[in-house]
Amino acid sequence: MLDILQNLISLDVLNATIRITTPILLVALSAVITQKANILNIGAEGIMLLGAFFGIMFSFFSGSWVVGALAGAVIGIIASMFMAVAHIEFKADIFVVGMAFNIFAIAFTRFGLNTFLNSTGIFTPQNLSTIPKINLSFLDPESFIGRLLFGYSLFDYLAIALVFILWYVIYKTRWGLHVRSVGLNEEAAESAGINTKLKKYQVMFLSGILGGLGGAHLSIGYTSVFVDNMSNGRGFAGVAAMFFGGANPIYTWLGTLIFGFSQASGNILQLYDFPSQIILMIPYLLTVVILAFSLYRRKAKATKRNRTF
Amino acid sequence: MENTIVKLNNIVKTFGDVTAISEGHFELRKGEIHSLIGENGAGKSTLMKILYGMHVPDSGEIIIHGKTYKSLNPKTAISLKIGMVHQEFMLVNELTVLENIILGFEPMNGLRIDFHTARENITEYIEKYNLVVPLNKKIMDLSVGEAQRVEILKTLLRGSEILILDEPTAVLTPDESLQLFDILETLRQSGKSIVFISHKLKEVMHISDRITIMRASKFVDTLIKKNTTIDEIAVKMIGKEVFLGRKEKDIDFNDEVVLKIENIYVPSSREKSKIRGLSLEVRKGEVLGLAGVDGNGQTELVEALTGLREIYSGKVFIDNIESTNISPKAVRNLKVGHIPEDRNTLGLNRFTSIEDNIIATKLGDGVFSNKSIIDRVKTLEYCKSKIKAFNVKPPLPSLVTSSLSGGNAQKVVVSREINDDLKVLIASQPTRGVDIGSIEEIREHIYNSQKQGVGVLLVSADLEEILSLSDRIAVIFEGKIAGIISVKDATEHNLSVLMTGGTLEKV
Amino acid sequence: MKKFRNLNHNVTFSLIVAFIIGSIIITALGENVFRVFGILISGAFDGSLKFGTTLQFFVPLFLTAIAFAVSTKVDINNIGVEGSLLLGAIAAAVTGAYVTGLSPIFHISLALIIAIVVGAAWAYIPAILKIKLNVNEITVTILLNYVALYFTSFLVMGPFSADVGAPRTMTILDSARIGTFLSPSKANYGIIIAIVVYFIILFIFSKTTFGYKITNSGLNSKFSFFVGINSKRMRIIGMLISGAIGGLAGGIEVLGVYGFYLYGFSFNTAFDGMLISLIAKNNLKKIPVIAFFIAALKSGALSMARYTDIPKSTIDMLISIFILLVAMDGIYEVIKNMVIRKKEREEAKC
Repeated sequence: MLDILQNLISLDVLNATIRITTPILLVALSAVITQKANILNIGAEGIMLLGAFFGIMFSFFSGSWVVGALAGAVIGIIASMFMAVAHIEFKADIFVVGMAFNIFAIAFTRFGLNTFLNSTGIFTPQNLSTIPKINLSFLDPESFIGRLLFGYSLFDYLAIALVFILWYVIYKTRWGLHVRSVGLNEEAAESAGINTKLKKYQVMFLSGILGGLGGAHLSIGYTSVFVDNMSNGRGFAGVAAMFFGGANPIYTWLGTLIFGFSQASGNILQLYDFPSQIILMIPYLLTVVILAFSLYRRKAKATKRNRTF
Repeated sequence: MENTIVKLNNIVKTFGDVTAISEGHFELRKGEIHSLIGENGAGKSTLMKILYGMHVPDSGEIIIHGKTYKSLNPKTAISLKIGMVHQEFMLVNELTVLENIILGFEPMNGLRIDFHTARENITEYIEKYNLVVPLNKKIMDLSVGEAQRVEILKTLLRGSEILILDEPTAVLTPDESLQLFDILETLRQSGKSIVFISHKLKEVMHISDRITIMRASKFVDTLIKKNTTIDEIAVKMIGKEVFLGRKEKDIDFNDEVVLKIENIYVPSSREKSKIRGLSLEVRKGEVLGLAGVDGNGQTELVEALTGLREIYSGKVFIDNIESTNISPKAVRNLKVGHIPEDRNTLGLNRFTSIEDNIIATKLGDGVFSNKSIIDRVKTLEYCKSKIKAFNVKPPLPSLVTSSLSGGNAQKVVVSREINDDLKVLIASQPTRGVDIGSIEEIREHIYNSQKQGVGVLLVSADLEEILSLSDRIAVIFEGKIAGIISVKDATEHNLSVLMTGGTLEKV
Repeated sequence: MKKFRNLNHNVTFSLIVAFIIGSIIITALGENVFRVFGILISGAFDGSLKFGTTLQFFVPLFLTAIAFAVSTKVDINNIGVEGSLLLGAIAAAVTGAYVTGLSPIFHISLALIIAIVVGAAWAYIPAILKIKLNVNEITVTILLNYVALYFTSFLVMGPFSADVGAPRTMTILDSARIGTFLSPSKANYGIIIAIVVYFIILFIFSKTTFGYKITNSGLNSKFSFFVGINSKRMRIIGMLISGAIGGLAGGIEVLGVYGFYLYGFSFNTAFDGMLISLIAKNNLKKIPVIAFFIAALKSGALSMARYTDIPKSTIDMLISIFILLVAMDGIYEVIKNMVIRKKEREEAKC
């Protein structure tokens, strides 16, 4: 028991956590930005899956991971713009559109796997151009920092940077303020002269890029594989993390780390025949608890305020 | 006129087949507080929204600083230094006061919002006009008075010289209202011109320089405050025409009391005692009309009688059975019908059929259900007979009520509430938003009910309706009954006295 | 107030568009459209195995669609039917495998009742959170689905594992098996249970006071208070019924189709059910036809994949496109308006 724990709280597991978290983080951030405009990005799972598929396909055909990553971003944009038009112009329920889209993505990638990549179930190209890993050679590989920061991919750094960039944009810039006002009180935003429709399209656009990149990292990041239904709930986990963090980029990051850690430690525990599913459940349960608690607090505050006389 | 900065001439505005303004005139001078007063629905809000560019008039002209416009939009209005504080605040609750004030007009420092400069600018205005607000608090943590000051600051920071306030005291406590008046006075002294829309006579007399009265979509008169009295204004608000066309009723009603209200005290969402010591009696077979300027407690009274609002002191008796603070269902069981003011959320379930709405109150009564199973054959029959008796169009029991016009929807409500075994009927704004044909029909049903011995409490902002249906008229003022007159004796003079808080000598 | 449009036009239109897209894909893959659709249709109906498979697919899709529709009647979106299904399934599997000495009637009834109770209890969590704290049920139910997924996976791989290599529980006793027909397909008499439940639900909602109260409590709670209905209680009951039906669906799959709980047996079945209900605009009377249609498509797709070069995923794609189009209410209106305006312009020119 003790050595299981010892192995859990090790730098290697932390390192693995960071790596596993990255795609979830990118998708979570894509959900954060739309949530600020009060659009629930439930289709994030599908965008991630499409990003993974197109990422590996284009990297394979072009021989360059840059093309692959770009393809992931582009398909993310196309997908999210489609959902945006359906929701904003044609008044479709964003939830229905997102869910239908997720199912479409699974079917389409399966179809694409067969038709474009001539494979069934799994695609394993040789010598695929993947996202480069960064080796900080000035660090001693045996030191604490050295082992913690060992061999992260470009996107790992990118994702973490994006947490702070997004935080700044949302809370410190004019655009961010406008987006937040659209999400909180669309009528008030309109009366202040803000083009609410445009803002919604803009957040969906950015969301598509982030989600697509997150997906691309799955297939051309640390692996060079595409498996049927590769996203496997990680898109939903990103959305859950967004709720966990109250749509704040930094708290959301914390949420994604919890999801990442649960997966990383789950992998270790499996080696010891310990049921990993219990660990995997925890982040979801935690998010439910946090949601319930925050609404409980809001209710308590409101009842207190109503006792004005 | 010297100093005239805004003039609205011959404005006409319709929405579909509803005429909001048939004859709109208004003239505003620099540095004055000019009140626009009238009953609800008189057209005051709409007229000012046209000035602020939120509506386009069908015809007429808007003259600002000598330049004529056919219509405006909010952006042009703001550029012409016109600002409006609406009844419903356009504020984002989760953002801070500071963020709300600068929204859309943020001072920038490169990519960043320059909060520092914004703070400085705003503090200047806060100090100049005594508009004290906590800049770092979120809107949802503010009092209503503070939130309103934020709205005023918003308009000032966009450079308004002309401020329009739409029923600003409707949401304030009496103390907050006084604070607002001080602020308005300060603004006026620094040269701002203010339009104050209200239906509260006392306030208008308190703060105005001039008062313009509108009635039933028309301009009536503009008076100089110093040269007029509250009664003169009230009379002009009521007008003489409503007294024409009164029907003679030949009803003999006895003195048996079916609804007795004894000295009740009821809170509103903002005040502890909106109703303060109200007593009233409705007799069997009579229609007692409750008249009064909107906001004096009518809504709260009806809610208190029908189990929707708590009565914290006093008693209510229905047919001599105490019914204080019982549930709506229990009230109903005492044979009380209630036509609610809010047809769409309280009166009907818009998403279900006419049939389901009509039988809503009769389930479990054993009439068409033996407690569990609904006899759909019986309910259909019942529904059809009601549809026929009340002339609901189209006469399709399975039709979803959201497809009905206002008049027909109201008839569904009325058909459900008026039954043969009714003792008391409480009708609150029964013909609001209803077409003329249906208005006549509904009034006829109320009259028929009365003939069958039902005691009717009619609450209506439509004075003509009160006068045409009632036997006696009780006037409510500031949560109490100011006086009761029989309909034969009612004139615009004695009604206006009562409605503005005066008393009549006992004759 | 929003007027409810004639949904039939929208569904037909979407169907035609999906059909056209399908034809394009089929042709692009080098197959003959008529041949493929022919195989698709025969694959759904021609012969015991094929028709039986259609019926087999029908039951869970139908029940989960009904479960979702019931929850919408109380104005709650129960996305957690999937969780109720999984938990109900494993409850039935365990009851079926470990409880001995009962005659088939009792054993099957017991297993299904336990599945129903478990499914309902699972739905209680989001229900109470929504009613008491106004927590958004869409979020919570999706999260809880994962909890249910991992929990059942834990049970299957752990304490209740059959230890036979495949990730499943012990085979249930014969006394718990729901009989099959149309062999070699897995069509089973659970379909009769499903149909009976359907009619019971219809009856409740249209003919009982209870059903009336439930229907009138979700959509307009102020009105319910006004006419004396305890809408909070009714909404919770509505959710319990929804979860119960989900649990039943899972139970039937285990007792009728598989004979044990197989990890991954339900790949988002309840989501498909939910989408079916959404296509039917949550109208109970329209669900059977649509559920049957989707079931037939999925069954036909198996044959299609075997005998043509068209992969099965094509059908799944078309189904999701179909749903997307139906969801976009606005599209039909926009096109109609475009056509009307074009006509007006042409008439103006004359």
